[in-house]
Amino acid sequence: MGSVVVEQLTKDFSGVTVLQNINLNIQEGEFFALLGPSGCGKTTTMRCIAGFEKPTKGVIKIGDKNLNGLAPNERNCGMVFQSYALFPHMNVFDNVAYSLNIKRLKESNIFRKIGVYTRMINSKLAKYPKDIEKKVMDILEYVELTDHAKKLTSALSGGQQQRVALARALVMEPEVLLMDEPLSNLDQKLRHTMRNTIRQIQQDLKITTIFVTHDQEEAMSMADRVAVMKDGEILQIGTPTDLYSNPKSPFIADFVGTSNIIPGKVIDQENGLSVVQIGNQTVKSVATADKQEVQVIIRPENINVLNENSMEYDNSFDGEILFSTYLGSTVRYDIKVGDYTLTADTTYESGNHILKSGASVKLGVSPERVLLI
Amino acid sequence: MKGLKKNLTGIGIVKLLIYAFFILFLIIPLLSVFLVSFTGEPINFFGSLISLDTMQLTFDQFKNATLDNFKSIFSNGTYFKALMNSLYLSLLVSVIVLAICVPIAYGIARTKMPFKKTISALCTIPLIVPTFISAYAFIIMFGRAGWVTYIYQALGGEGFLIDPYSFTGIVLVQVFFFFPYALWPMVAAFKVSDVSLEEASRSMGSKSWLTFFTVTFPLAIPGMLSTALVIFAVSFSDFGTPIILAPTDLNLLVVEAYREIAGFFNWGGAAILTVIMIAVAGFVFWLQNAFFKGKDYGSLSGKPKQVKMNNNKVLTVSLSIFSSLVVLVPLLAMLTVFMQSIATTWGVEPLPAGYTLNHYKDIFTNSLGNIQNSIILALGALVLSIIIATFVSYFVVRQNSTGLDFMTTVPLIVPGIAFGIALIQTFNTAPLQLTGTAVILIIAYTIRRIPYMIRSTVGTMKSIKADIEEAAVNLGASTLTAAITVIGPLMLPGIAAGSILVFVTVIKETSISILMAPANWAPMSLAIFQNILRAEYYSAAAMSIVLVVLVLVLQAIANRFSRKQL
Repeated sequence: MGSVVVEQLTKDFSGVTVLQNINLNIQEGEFFALLGPSGCGKTTTMRCIAGFEKPTKGVIKIGDKNLNGLAPNERNCGMVFQSYALFPHMNVFDNVAYSLNIKRLKESNIFRKIGVYTRMINSKLAKYPKDIEKKVMDILEYVELTDHAKKLTSALSGGQQQRVALARALVMEPEVLLMDEPLSNLDQKLRHTMRNTIRQIQQDLKITTIFVTHDQEEAMSMADRVAVMKDGEILQIGTPTDLYSNPKSPFIADFVGTSNIIPGKVIDQENGLSVVQIGNQTVKSVATADKQEVQVIIRPENINVLNENSMEYDNSFDGEILFSTYLGSTVRYDIKVGDYTLTADTTYESGNHILKSGASVKLGVSPERVLLI
Repeated sequence: MKGLKKNLTGIGIVKLLIYAFFILFLIIPLLSVFLVSFTGEPINFFGSLISLDTMQLTFDQFKNATLDNFKSIFSNGTYFKALMNSLYLSLLVSVIVLAICVPIAYGIARTKMPFKKTISALCTIPLIVPTFISAYAFIIMFGRAGWVTYIYQALGGEGFLIDPYSFTGIVLVQVFFFFPYALWPMVAAFKVSDVSLEEASRSMGSKSWLTFFTVTFPLAIPGMLSTALVIFAVSFSDFGTPIILAPTDLNLLVVEAYREIAGFFNWGGAAILTVIMIAVAGFVFWLQNAFFKGKDYGSLSGKPKQVKMNNNKVLTVSLSIFSSLVVLVPLLAMLTVFMQSIATTWGVEPLPAGYTLNHYKDIFTNSLGNIQNSIILALGALVLSIIIATFVSYFVVRQNSTGLDFMTTVPLIVPGIAFGIALIQTFNTAPLQLTGTAVILIIAYTIRRIPYMIRSTVGTMKSIKADIEEAAVNLGASTLTAAITVIGPLMLPGIAAGSILVFVTVIKETSISILMAPANWAPMSLAIFQNILRAEYYSAAAMSIVLVVLVLVLQAIANRFSRKQL
């Protein structure tokens, strides 16, 4: 296991810069997610670490070892591919044993080599040594695939294939585990289970893991830290809670969860609160901004739809319900306030009635929940 | 230096070797034949590299290089006439083939013509038979002692119905044995042409025959012109038919070139004819690419289209009769060869005088060597093709190697006889004196037929996703190990299908065999050819049947394989 350091990583594809000055410092045993929309360079970053892409500039280190110039097969990074990339002509056991065979190949003399090659081309022709067999069966037991060892991978379900891919990467005891959108091919329910499985295994083995995804929920629920990427650059790195409560840009505020983002102008400071002009109304915030033109960010769950006997809020507005969406545990309202439409989430308890379109409401937001960027 | 060292990994060496192979046995021979067309005498290319004297000699040859040979195209009436005759032959054949294929293709693709399945099946016969056997079949049908001639004379005709030893004879053989090359692409063109366009035409009140001529047919024109060019190229490069049938007063390029080299050792003359042949073939290939690539009328949308089959009785029955007549000719030709192979004697009679299996017995006792030679040579070419094609498709698909892609397409263009002449010239003297050995024969077969193999393996390679190989490398395998343990096994179906194609075409191969095979390595095709020249028709017939059956069996296995793949 090792820490992963990426310094000043830049990658050009025939003149087009797809990665610009990427800096990462991933701790040993950390579960680190690269999050961003498609085309943001997250997969390219991972492929640079795995060695499939050659960086135009920059240094990548695992532990103290500089990876520059090392071929992908010399890096000892286990990778789980988006499509799993299981070998279709081999059964589950042979797939998992592949890296162990390769290791054996490198240590053997020429006659042994022929034996190993034979085994890799067709495992019926040559037997596995005991130690390899044990190692493979152990890891298969760990991912609960013991019964499927002799099956072809095409005979397995999506979740099982995913676990074979994981086992195949783990059995080589990699210093870093790389996962490229590993859950994107699974259905909703299986995805949730696999999230837990992967997180569990990662915690168990304490293996440094880099996880690429475009799904913010996945990143937030699994990772210790998340790097949000856009257009080949890293916008912000932080823990999931940090990213959610202190987004550094409107993009992140919107990408990580839903946000109301409204342009405003700081006009005053009053009792330690910033006063921001939005249209013909004002909002107070505990945040301070170093410039006048700001983006005001309020999470939907922080907008309270008030009834008559609610407490008083420092910020309160009058609004009109445009649209309501019932989501089970919550109700989402689109509310017209002045020239803007705000989104507000309220907890739904049975017996509550859902406000109809056109209803007039009062909204309250506490200054602690108003961010200025 | 550092870059070079980096390329010298296992897989890099393999790539260099493959480049070396194609440069040595394809590019240099073609280049050298081009140079010889100026010098008029063979140059020792490899000798010049190792001996100063030889190099001096080569330089002297270049100093004497002239354009005389090129002038001779026009001054020497024979060459010019040969070129004109060849062009005229190919043009005529492609036009006739086009004309007879349109109704058959329409019948197969768009109507409920009776006996459609049988007709389609019979259309494959011509593809199995090497052309010199078809030509020979025409001789025993239409020749002096042929049964057609007998019937014709019995009905009161004088002389021949058609003289097989004539320009007409050559045209007929090529038409009846090449038409399937045009038929299947044309069937495909009729099938994909958008039926909704025709329905649009019908809905606007157009009659069905009017729709055919104003919509269906014009839409198929680009496809038809493209296939006509294919036929032109096939006919132009064909050696088997003219060498058997061309009368002495009919000059054709392939025959003329063969005579110059095999009869008179006229290197300069053979070289200039070779250059002309390659130039014409190359031009046709270029024409086809330049005008028809990506210019089809784009009716290929993903959604499956319901093709409405024409069920007009008069139309379908007449189409069926016409198609049957066309496919009957090759069928009768092959039946005639078969009858001859089991005949005791067959004079000017409709049927042989008696039947015997002696000719087969004869072959399996006296000519077993030829059969063995054929199989050994084909196996040699097969092994070589498998190795080269597997790696080439890897380089072309994964590393986007345009150089190899181009070099492995060249053999498709170069006529067999031209390629043979180039090889003979280049490897005629020390230090690389390979002419007359089995090695050069195998190499020639390999290079000539490897495009088929590569097409098959490239297809399979493309279906193997790149990340499967990356996964192997990620798990610690070198590129070469990944190729052996993952890519190789996954490519087996493609290799198997391509292999049989290579094997079959090598066994059928005429021009290279006749030109290059030494006596002790004579394959079946050469033996049959010599038997025909010696007028030993019965053993030629028996050997032809053996060859065709061998090809048929292998082809059946190949079909099995390719079906399994789907």
